[in-house]
Amino acid sequence: MHPFTYSRAADPAAAIAAHAQDPRLAFIAGGTDLLGLMKDREAIPDRLLDINGLPHMARIEVLRDGGVRIGALARMSDVAADEEIRRRFPVIAESLLFAASGQLRNMASMGGNIMQRTRCAYFRDEDDLPCNKRKPGSGCAARYGLNRLHAIFGWSDECVATHPSDLAVALSALDAEVVVRGRNGDRTISFTEFHRLPGNTPNRDNVLDRGDLIVAIEVPHRIEGRASHYLKLRDRESYEFALVSAAVAVATNGSRIGSVRLAMGGVAHKPWRLTAAESALRGVSLDDVQALRTAIATSFVDARPLAHNSFKIELAQRVALRAVQIAGARA
Amino acid sequence: MNAVGQPLSRFDGRLKVTGAARYTADISIQGAVHASFVSSSIAHGRTTAIDTTAAEKAPGVLAVFTHRNMLLMNPTPKPWSHLHPHGQSYLPLQDDKILYADQPIALVVAGTLAQAAYAGTLVRTDYEVQPPVVFGSQTLKDAVQPPQFLWPVSSSVGNADAAISASPVRMKQTYSTSDRHHNQMEPHATTAIWDGDGTLTLYETTQHIFGCRDLVSIVLGIPPEKINVVSQFLGGGFGGKAYVWPHTLLTILAAKVLRRPVRFQLTRAQMYSMAGHQAASVQTIALGATIEGRLNGIRHDSISPTAVSDNYIEYAALCARSLWSATGGIATNHKIVHVNRNTPTALRAPHEALGHFALESAMDELAYATGVDPVQLRMLNDTEVDPDTGRPFSSRAMRRCLIDGAARFGWEKRTPEPGSMRRGRYLLGQGMAGAIYTHWRWPGRARVTLNRDGSALVELGTHEIGTGTYTVMQQVAADALGLPSQKVTVRIGDARLPQSHASIGSATMANAGASVMLAAKAARDKAIELACSGRGALFGDANIDDVIVRDGRLVHAKKNLEVTYVDLLARNNLPSLTGDGNYEPSPEGAKAVFSFSAVFAEVIVDPDFGVVRLSRFVGAYDCGQVINPKTARSQAIGGIIWGIGQALLEQSETDPALGRFLHRNYSGYLVPTSADVPKLDVVFVGQFDEEASPIGAKGLGELTAVSVAPAIANAVYHATGKRVRDLPITIEKLL
Repeated sequence: MHPFTYSRAADPAAAIAAHAQDPRLAFIAGGTDLLGLMKDREAIPDRLLDINGLPHMARIEVLRDGGVRIGALARMSDVAADEEIRRRFPVIAESLLFAASGQLRNMASMGGNIMQRTRCAYFRDEDDLPCNKRKPGSGCAARYGLNRLHAIFGWSDECVATHPSDLAVALSALDAEVVVRGRNGDRTISFTEFHRLPGNTPNRDNVLDRGDLIVAIEVPHRIEGRASHYLKLRDRESYEFALVSAAVAVATNGSRIGSVRLAMGGVAHKPWRLTAAESALRGVSLDDVQALRTAIATSFVDARPLAHNSFKIELAQRVALRAVQIAGARA
Repeated sequence: MNAVGQPLSRFDGRLKVTGAARYTADISIQGAVHASFVSSSIAHGRTTAIDTTAAEKAPGVLAVFTHRNMLLMNPTPKPWSHLHPHGQSYLPLQDDKILYADQPIALVVAGTLAQAAYAGTLVRTDYEVQPPVVFGSQTLKDAVQPPQFLWPVSSSVGNADAAISASPVRMKQTYSTSDRHHNQMEPHATTAIWDGDGTLTLYETTQHIFGCRDLVSIVLGIPPEKINVVSQFLGGGFGGKAYVWPHTLLTILAAKVLRRPVRFQLTRAQMYSMAGHQAASVQTIALGATIEGRLNGIRHDSISPTAVSDNYIEYAALCARSLWSATGGIATNHKIVHVNRNTPTALRAPHEALGHFALESAMDELAYATGVDPVQLRMLNDTEVDPDTGRPFSSRAMRRCLIDGAARFGWEKRTPEPGSMRRGRYLLGQGMAGAIYTHWRWPGRARVTLNRDGSALVELGTHEIGTGTYTVMQQVAADALGLPSQKVTVRIGDARLPQSHASIGSATMANAGASVMLAAKAARDKAIELACSGRGALFGDANIDDVIVRDGRLVHAKKNLEVTYVDLLARNNLPSLTGDGNYEPSPEGAKAVFSFSAVFAEVIVDPDFGVVRLSRFVGAYDCGQVINPKTARSQAIGGIIWGIGQALLEQSETDPALGRFLHRNYSGYLVPTSADVPKLDVVFVGQFDEEASPIGAKGLGELTAVSVAPAIANAVYHATGKRVRDLPITIEKLL
């Protein structure tokens, strides 16, 4: 492992200043992803700044509008167990509980969760393999290599990786906001704008700059929030990233869909919002399986399979359908 | 009460769960320094320059070895032998060749492991690159007939092809299995310590301390009596730690040059490229049968990849030689393809676990082709004579396995039509398979010492590979000595102890166990002798056959006399009595010895998603006498879970352009979690088999990992009507 120093941050302003000035410094919270990245040398910081001691960043609060604000240092297990979260946004609690393992959820922070890096095996190898995300300009071995687990939407020849976070899929569906404190004060970033598509700079996963510290995630009140569900399909029953997943939240008029929020994981470099399907589903009866299927399909016309993942196009639509049905039954 | 047959908890269980058991890398040696590999980023070619300047200047670095300055070794011995087994004949750091991806090209030694690993990242290498040869449909045509390695490469009894073509029911299909890795929780580790007098002590993660000693002796030119090898606990071997891999040899040489103890451990990723794996297989099976399902002929051919430097064979077609009878003949053959990869090796249930997937899937296809129930089909083709050699089986409880297994499973409630059974929205499938497993007969020695305090010490150079060796040897010795088992202490895992065989091939109980029984009986007989003729001649001139041992005493019932071991040794003023056991079975007896099983699987399949989950499993096993039902059951459930991995999850994929294994960690290489494993029902139906071992036991561990995959695949067919002939059965194969 590359040698590094370790220190604890006492206040946010100093932490942000240090991060802004020092490109070789990394924040560490739960460390559940960062330490693995350091061992395999995808991340080689010279300095780790531990932000776990920063005040008031682990709270879960109900907002006046009925939404919630989740501190960036809140642990996955605490958020998943929180009564308000479970009641108002079951999709968030479920996305957390289907992720990682009990031990990891006890350590991993919410801010760190959405900062996770891809599980692409070429990126994650102990050795340097051709990977533009790991080493810009080195190529994308997965593009014409083994890509069963890779993207079907929004990929580029420079990168075909997917984003691994389950939570991020739920937050994308709910149009959550990321509260970021930077050198120029606080700002909020719409969740659907937070992660990037790879384009020709796949080394950048998201829109954060040096000196940016995620302080909280805010989920505004959503009428669809209570009837929500996270459906995760994976190769084994537990402790595995999604092959394909769907986060759905539904509001109904009788047996018809009034409005729906639908995002998918395991299909793109960022949580993939199915906006066309959301429109097409409006007014469709939850009992009309064929109509639901047809509406969902409108978001898959631009899906582009790679050599080994064409099955995901059909599979993702079936997962979306089942998730809409389950969420709809909760409405 | 006899100890054998009791479900004793393992003696070392508490040590393991509390961390008190010291595994190889836990043993810290004063003054030891740490070594780390730099490995090749290409899979084929040679190094043209290796710049170690920056690495040598890095903090804590003591030396950087490459092929330019590493000591030279003798070639690995030919022919290959279990007695001194190398894992791979090509030895890195001896020349500039690159034969496989991640081949070691430099060894960095530093004060700490972190320093060594970091310095390794500073080594710069230039290559002359050649395209790698990988195993796949394009290279199958390059398969060649290999020289014999374990069993004969091909076999033919009768005329299988003629019998098949004359049959009213014929089928021919190709089945394939994936490359798999051992993924032991404990990485391979070596600590090498040279003493001033030229003796070498090796703390080694090995299933074969004597084989390790003798291979090191040959390749490094050290007299065997100058080498000791220690392995007292193993965190998983599964065959991968039975052979000596290059890192062990290089660590020993580094310690020699530096005159300091050197400690080395493979990283998780290096475990995929430096210490063996199970090679994939492409198998073709042709069956010919009567319309009633009686087999007329079987042809089973297999092709598997191996390294450029080696002729390792996966004997996948071996099982077809002896599992079922065929009236007209059975023919088998194996071929290999040389590709750029590290050398494959034995991985839990080598040969059989691959072959049974093909053969027992084909049998299920035959059951559907003939309309004969799968259990009945196997009854119909059961045999009391080994079709391969014509010898009668020493014991073969296949019918018992089939009958008892089917009864426990509730097979009679199964409706055979695919897709005919459901549970809610899910499809339910039930499948079964039979299995046969090779029984090995190997010599081994043991020593048993009866102490004056009434305790006994068992000593032999066997291994605790996670199976409960300490406990079962205690049980065997306790019964032979007439002692409670808690009075018996077992010492193993040190090459200064009496020589035993490798702990592989599910052979330890039957063979090392026999040597313990013989040694314990020898010690007991010395005590009886002493009671009859020693000081005071307590039992007078008794016939020693009239003396029995129980509860720590010798009892002469006819004369109504008894004496404890404690009194006997005190009376004769002896500190102890020692018995030596030397088990020397003939490798081939008059009878064919194999273990058998029939296993039954139930799956539920989500028809929309193609997700398969195992919901029930019953295994019925004939492993002869069961010494400890608890550790035996643990072996079985471990084997079944291993088989679930083979069936549904495990595959080491090779990138075709880079010629390297991907997913080199537990995150990418999936093995079953607890959530993937339902309740497992295990039953033992075998009887004492004297031909197999004087303690009546046949091999068990690997048998239990065999035929799980075809039972699950057959259940998936029953659920979905889709026949998956390529493992693992992943989601996309059922969509």
